[in-house]
Amino acid sequence: MKEEKECAFVIEGKMALPYQYYAGAIGSQFIVALRDDKRILGVRCEKCRKTFVPPRQSCERCFSSLTDHWVEVGSSGVLTGFTVIRYAEPYQPKEPPYVLALIKLDGADTPIAHILECGDARNARIGMRVRAVFSEKPRDTILAISHFEEE
Amino acid sequence: MGKEKEGRELIVSRQILSIPQHFSTGPVMGRFLAELRDNKRIMANKCPKCGRHQLPPREVCAICHVEATGWDELPPVGTIRDFDVIYYASPDPLTGETRQVPYVLCWVDLDGTQGDAPFWHLLDVDDLTKVRRGVRVRVVFADDRRGATEDIRHFEIIPDEPIEGGDAR
Amino acid sequence: MTKNRNVAIIGSGMSRFSSHREEVNQPEMIHEAVVEALQDAGVMLDDIDCVLHGNMELFEMVHQPDMWHVIGDGVWGKSGIRLTTGGTTGATLACAADNLVASGLHDAVLAIGFEKLQEGHTTGGITNMADPLWGRSLQTGALTGTGAQKIIDEFGVERARWAAMKYRTIMDEHAMRNPKAHRRLRLERRYIKETAENSPPLAGELRMIHMCSQSDGACAVVFASEEKVRQWKANPAWIVDHETVHREETMIFGSQKNTQRVAAERLFKRTGISNPRQEIDVLEMYDPSAWWGLDWLRDFLLLSGDEAIKMVENDEIAIDGAFPVNPSGGVIASNPIGATALVRVAEAAMQIRGTAGDHQVAKPVRRALASGFGGSLWTVLMLLSKEKPEQGAETHG
Repeated sequence: MKEEKECAFVIEGKMALPYQYYAGAIGSQFIVALRDDKRILGVRCEKCRKTFVPPRQSCERCFSSLTDHWVEVGSSGVLTGFTVIRYAEPYQPKEPPYVLALIKLDGADTPIAHILECGDARNARIGMRVRAVFSEKPRDTILAISHFEEE
Repeated sequence: MGKEKEGRELIVSRQILSIPQHFSTGPVMGRFLAELRDNKRIMANKCPKCGRHQLPPREVCAICHVEATGWDELPPVGTIRDFDVIYYASPDPLTGETRQVPYVLCWVDLDGTQGDAPFWHLLDVDDLTKVRRGVRVRVVFADDRRGATEDIRHFEIIPDEPIEGGDAR
Repeated sequence: MTKNRNVAIIGSGMSRFSSHREEVNQPEMIHEAVVEALQDAGVMLDDIDCVLHGNMELFEMVHQPDMWHVIGDGVWGKSGIRLTTGGTTGATLACAADNLVASGLHDAVLAIGFEKLQEGHTTGGITNMADPLWGRSLQTGALTGTGAQKIIDEFGVERARWAAMKYRTIMDEHAMRNPKAHRRLRLERRYIKETAENSPPLAGELRMIHMCSQSDGACAVVFASEEKVRQWKANPAWIVDHETVHREETMIFGSQKNTQRVAAERLFKRTGISNPRQEIDVLEMYDPSAWWGLDWLRDFLLLSGDEAIKMVENDEIAIDGAFPVNPSGGVIASNPIGATALVRVAEAAMQIRGTAGDHQVAKPVRRALASGFGGSLWTVLMLLSKEKPEQGAETHG
């Protein structure tokens, strides 16, 4: 038995491969508006009376097409939830500790997830008003908004 | 940036996803890999019921479903049962490297193997016409071994040995 | 095992198969197939009570993509199940949908298979499937010349090469009639020899022209209980039975019979079919390469010797032939892996329901066979029929 356990060991491996993900036509318009115009766009389903941010091609509930139902939402909104990330892992947008927040922008019915810069994490409060700070450098992802801060 | 399609930019996110992995060998594969690494020995395990070898070894006999408790060292020589000449190399996700093509993979019945347990590995050969079923080959071990498939560099043809079975292919 | 009630496919939808779907993301691509399936079935989203979702796991390196795809696949507020078995996923989805409705647990199940291979890394995915402790770095997946060599050994190189390329050409002729197919090459029979000779080899005698494509695509299929078929006045293709075979012995290379033959033997014994070539009207076979198509045609029809290769030589497998194979063009024409095996089932159902349009076979279809194939050489086989099976027939669970 002991001899068997001595024979067991761990093999290190790695998978490092290139992938590419397409935002699609709708997702691309959203990103381009963030990046080039500093505008945040959503789409509205009139049937369900919901404005979805980030936008998507169809309503998940009633399947209505939302492709030409663009609305602009505010770049400010309300914090509806948050968590404090304390552990370090690869692929994080910034070094911990940082606050990962859910923000319901003015005019949107769905919150988006983003980073809240508020100094000490204890300053974050559900219900606080926050505003988007756009990135100086052009970015092709949600990080075209750099972070949110208290209004 | 993205491609222009009907005047609209299409966003694409390109990422290299690099994921570290750790796999436990367990005692059975652990012994097999440790013997390769430390002693340049190829160990197959043997079923106490049907006497079949399993190579690489596994805990249970695939046919009898009993614990395969026997261990036998198999010699590093055998006969090619079949082979594959690969002309299209995919990059190795562990190293990013691509093998030079064409290269040959072969299934070898090591001498003394009981039952169907052909050993699968690369075959180093300059002249593809030399590769036939029945050709006698031997293992070439790597100098730098760590308990992995690469501990064996490849098989090579044993020169001047007659082809077993005289197969045309 | 017996079913509690019969199950039928009442509709299906597919996105266009392509290697360039940059204008849609994954959930949007799936949405296309789902919308078409609901329309084809004549049902609304509310009529579906469970969505089964599957693909070749991690080929796009997105874990649990079904969570993301909620925004496009209609599962919001419904039961959702994710299923993945590799290349056979699509067919396993069909088996699972059949089981779920037959059990009485759900009345209408939407099965969705997809793959967005342009976004992924197929080799990485296949390597991921291999044993990490041994052999992973040797893995070449489906790129092997051993299938071709088997046919060459048996029939001689000239006859074998000709038959493989003829099979490939017939598949392309079928694909030309299928607007959804990915690769439609307009191959000509008079150039069979030259096309094969000039195609770059991949492994052994397996050449690029013989090999399946890598495609983006989604397929959605609606499965309904017999009560719902009556209620909705649907056009059904009934699921008779299905069999899944995954054998250690077949993977111990070359020494045992193919899982295709084992599956066919078991399925036909249970369903009382003694002469599949006569009693079945069309086969949608998962054929990753022309060589494997040749080999497995023989297995699926329980033939021997050169009976199957003659069916290719004599055009029996053509769309207007005595036993059409892959009127859709098959997997060589389109291969969005997670969807591919479900597409075989959907296409078989279309042939029964008479909705295949330009690629509808010439003869009337009473029974159709669909197969799935997966990495460790395994087979899923499903039999569909125009007539409703006897209540309480023996089937596999």
